[in-house]
Amino acid sequence: MNILELQHIEKIYGVKENQVRALHDINIQVKEGEFVAIVGTSGSGKSTLLNLAGGLDTPTKGRILVKGKEIDSLSRKELTVFRRRNIGFVFQSYSLMPVLNVYDNVALPVTFDRGRHVDHKYIEELLRELGIWDKRRKYPAELSGGQQQRAAIARALANRPAILLADEPTGNLDSVTTIEVIGLLKASCKKYSQTILMVTHNEAIAQTCDRIIHIEDGRVLGKGFVRKHFFSGEGGEVPC
Amino acid sequence: MLKLACQYMKYYKSQTFAIFASIFLTAVLLSGISTLMYSSRQNDLENSRTMYGDWHYRVTADVNSDAGSDKSDFEDIYKELCGKVQRKEKGSGYRLEQCGRAQMKGMLTVPYEIRFLYADESCRRMTHCQLIEGREPVKDNEIAADNYTLENLGFSGGIGDTLNLGGDIYVLTGIVKSRWASGIDEMNLFVGEEFGKDSAAEQNILYFKFDENEKLYVQLEAFQRAYHIPGDAVEANEDITMYLSGERPDSIIDIIKFALTDERGNFTYIILKLQSEYNFAFNGMLVLLLLFGLFVIYSVFNISVSRRKAEYAMLQTLGISEGTISGTLIFELWILFLAGYPLGLIAGNSILRLCGRKLDGIFTSKINGAAYGERVQNAEDYAGIHVPWEMIAAGFVFLFFALAVVGFLTVRTIRKQTLSQAMAGDTAFMKQSRPVYSKRGCNLANIVTRKFMFSDKRKVIGIILSLSIGGCIFLCTTYMTENLKVHAQMAFKSDDGLGSEYRVSVRSDSMADTIPASVIEEMKDIAELSEVYASKYIMGELVIKKEQLEWNEYFREKNKDSYYQERYGGICVDKGNGTYGIKYDVYGYDTGMIEELREFLLEGEIDLNKLEKRNQVIAVANQDGQGNYNFYGLHPKDTVTLRVPKEINCPADVLKFDADSTEYVEKQFEIAAIVSRALAKEDNYLNVNNWSNSQSFIMTNRLIEDNYGISGYSIVNASPVTGADTEKIGGKILKTVRDVPKAVFRDYTAAIETQKNYLKRRQLFFSGIAVILLVISLFHIMNSMNYSVFAHRREYGIIRAMGITDAGLYKMILRMGILYGLLADVFIFLIYHLLFRRVMDYYMVHVVQFLHISAVIPAGVFGMIMVLNVAIAVLAVMIPAGKIAAGDIIEEIRR
Repeated sequence: MNILELQHIEKIYGVKENQVRALHDINIQVKEGEFVAIVGTSGSGKSTLLNLAGGLDTPTKGRILVKGKEIDSLSRKELTVFRRRNIGFVFQSYSLMPVLNVYDNVALPVTFDRGRHVDHKYIEELLRELGIWDKRRKYPAELSGGQQQRAAIARALANRPAILLADEPTGNLDSVTTIEVIGLLKASCKKYSQTILMVTHNEAIAQTCDRIIHIEDGRVLGKGFVRKHFFSGEGGEVPC
Repeated sequence: MLKLACQYMKYYKSQTFAIFASIFLTAVLLSGISTLMYSSRQNDLENSRTMYGDWHYRVTADVNSDAGSDKSDFEDIYKELCGKVQRKEKGSGYRLEQCGRAQMKGMLTVPYEIRFLYADESCRRMTHCQLIEGREPVKDNEIAADNYTLENLGFSGGIGDTLNLGGDIYVLTGIVKSRWASGIDEMNLFVGEEFGKDSAAEQNILYFKFDENEKLYVQLEAFQRAYHIPGDAVEANEDITMYLSGERPDSIIDIIKFALTDERGNFTYIILKLQSEYNFAFNGMLVLLLLFGLFVIYSVFNISVSRRKAEYAMLQTLGISEGTISGTLIFELWILFLAGYPLGLIAGNSILRLCGRKLDGIFTSKINGAAYGERVQNAEDYAGIHVPWEMIAAGFVFLFFALAVVGFLTVRTIRKQTLSQAMAGDTAFMKQSRPVYSKRGCNLANIVTRKFMFSDKRKVIGIILSLSIGGCIFLCTTYMTENLKVHAQMAFKSDDGLGSEYRVSVRSDSMADTIPASVIEEMKDIAELSEVYASKYIMGELVIKKEQLEWNEYFREKNKDSYYQERYGGICVDKGNGTYGIKYDVYGYDTGMIEELREFLLEGEIDLNKLEKRNQVIAVANQDGQGNYNFYGLHPKDTVTLRVPKEINCPADVLKFDADSTEYVEKQFEIAAIVSRALAKEDNYLNVNNWSNSQSFIMTNRLIEDNYGISGYSIVNASPVTGADTEKIGGKILKTVRDVPKAVFRDYTAAIETQKNYLKRRQLFFSGIAVILLVISLFHIMNSMNYSVFAHRREYGIIRAMGITDAGLYKMILRMGILYGLLADVFIFLIYHLLFRRVMDYYMVHVVQFLHISAVIPAGVFGMIMVLNVAIAVLAVMIPAGKIAAGDIIEEIRR
């Protein structure tokens, strides 16, 4: 079952002579539980694609379906609520609230939806899983980059979203931490049966994903490959 | 540096505009108010000239006509001075602009004290006694007079008609200009130079006017040295010279030294002395305005710079020195100042010129007078706008250098942080304790809001201060205006003697001259009159024990007055038996007037029944120069001993109260109440200086008659009924009192109208200024709070990405606004009650000496300010909140 579907997506920025076509006739389907990497050079349109998929931006043309629901048809408020309940975001710059400690940063999106009814067991589990339980009282500025990104992942997972969108989550991290963070993403993807769409310009990282979508000049090059071994344990790549 | 400053200004357009606007508004406010205050002062001076004459000093010399040499000396000096004036010749250290001579040729005592006066043209001009109709008197039996004198002499004829005065017949040749109504205290008949040439002696008075561009006291001292004129022969026209440095001021160091070392000195002494010698209120207000403006500029500029703090830190990492950054900031401020200050001056003065006539006289310290039966301050007399260039230049210099200090201070705040801190932003919140709020069930959006607000306490304090400053100024102004209104109405009735439109009094040295009760009844029968209050009078002496006299200095000063010494042997006299005798006015008031005294109550109660039943009196407290009241340490229910002459028609010497005890009646009275002022006042005995507050006792008309047998009335006050023809009423009253010997009628209608009008304008002006200050602080609030919200723009973007709805975001920011508003309310409430109100009370009681501080800020105004604060704070945060909500989430996060 496709959890995310992008149909004939076009995105144009600017007007007249300043027009920039960021995406051109993009058609992508992502199945539930898939870990997809979007790769491409700088300015190829990969982050734009991710933002459109997450409802943070609106396409100039085309349809976006998340869990079978066309998000363009939603009102501003409905879209916000839908996004909150179904989509988690991880940004390159972590984007944590500097005035809240790690625990509260993770709990923050939950409180928007459920008020004070936060599932503290689940948050503890997340933090332990991500190895930052002992840092829960620290403020973001007191953490390393890897720790901040773990906190950001925990926050993204806090609402148990169906899709996790990660925009260059390892862009600011060293290689060791990068491996750790990717491992964590994969682990959580498996554990919580989540679909992950990750933008990266790092081919090596992309190779560890189920599927790679190449974007250049706003167009998808080929359809990507599914790496069988990650979930099934078998080696080799098959086209999807 | 200049290029960098210009580039920054170009890039941060809205911030540059905010700084420019703050400088511009400061200049508008400064130039507008200083010009208005200065113009009012100048207009005051012009009014005083109209009321008290256009002269600075006069020298009186008694010249014996038999001793020819004396007279010729006097003539020689006079001619020499006139010559100097004509030739515009400068003396050694002085320049005489005008010189005039008056000669008192004789005096009549019946029916009034009337002087026969010869005055040369220059003197007439200086004393505003010009001929307005007819011709100058020349012959021995020719006179000219003003309408006031003629009316009271019962003269109803015209020029060429005759008057019989003391058995002599005089021909009226001309009418001279009337003098200011409230200031009429003498009657003159103008005569020719040859009048009474055979009389033995005459009094010569020389009037002088010096160059007003130089300090008057310096010129006077030089003049006195040149002509060997002793100091006591010179009398200053104080109502004029007080504006023109008529007396050598004490140095500020001496004033402070005296206040600190002398037992009579205190803080109030310093303030009052600075006010009288250095125009403290004017200069102090300008300094406050400058500081207020500077605070706004500093705050706006600081916000602007804090937005680019990271950039400056970056520039420093690239090797640009701190000095260069300071220079850039100062250049930026100076460029905006050089553009904003002159434009603000032009705008401030233009606004003033547009509404100047309506605001004229706002800062005047006294009633704009009205001449007898006419208004002085007509539209044509409007003295116009006077720009205080010296003040404006001083403001320019002050702000120019203060802005350099602002630049340095701003750099200092950057310097306080390390470069990495400056680039990273605020981290103050990390020092706080680290509870997990979500586990406590707290609303995290509230926590984030609160933490955003309080992450930098200095900024919060700054915002709350800015929010409060407008409200505080508005509250203080309202408090002042409300009390000014009460004070003005009370002073109107008591000090200015303008409680009633019409006043009939007896102009006589003898207390036996009174207005019969039948005349009062006739007056009450005039349909157009209401509130006809008749008062009785007798002069008395309060006997107190020596130890009761707490204010020795107060009476020592009063005793110095030669008038009191000559006529009454002094005001407070040592009786030699361990007591003092203090001269007192003893009044009998109508019940209506006694009721009105309640407004002036300091202690006790005024109950008409009790007053008569228990033979009680109301005492008027003494007030010192610092606004303190005292009644010899006595209080209501204490007893006083009061002596009055046994015979109302007593010889003048009996009024010294040192005659045989059989000449007096001595009685004891219980004090019912102590009040701050008397209402109807005599002006022949103790109260001779224009409406001074001489010591008085008040009882009912019945009591004064029962105790001392006073049946006739001395003063009658009356008001017209609404809509009555005021011109006709004057005629009717005059007709009623015409047959009463020595009765004088005065019409204050015009003076009251002028005063009421002036009060309205003054209230309107102060409210206007409060609103302007509120607007300026509003501008500052908007800027500060805008910044405070936008400073967390990225975080709000993250929260939006996390899934907060627009309504949730608005609610979150709204909370911040409400919290700021409420905090400002609490701050205003506390600071107003704990500090400002006390300072204002002190200022009103001791410096400007308001009669009663009874008015409070109406609850509605207080509530309005509280609500307005919250509304302003909410509005100030919701505008940027709207911008954030409308912005692209991705763009916001990337900031």
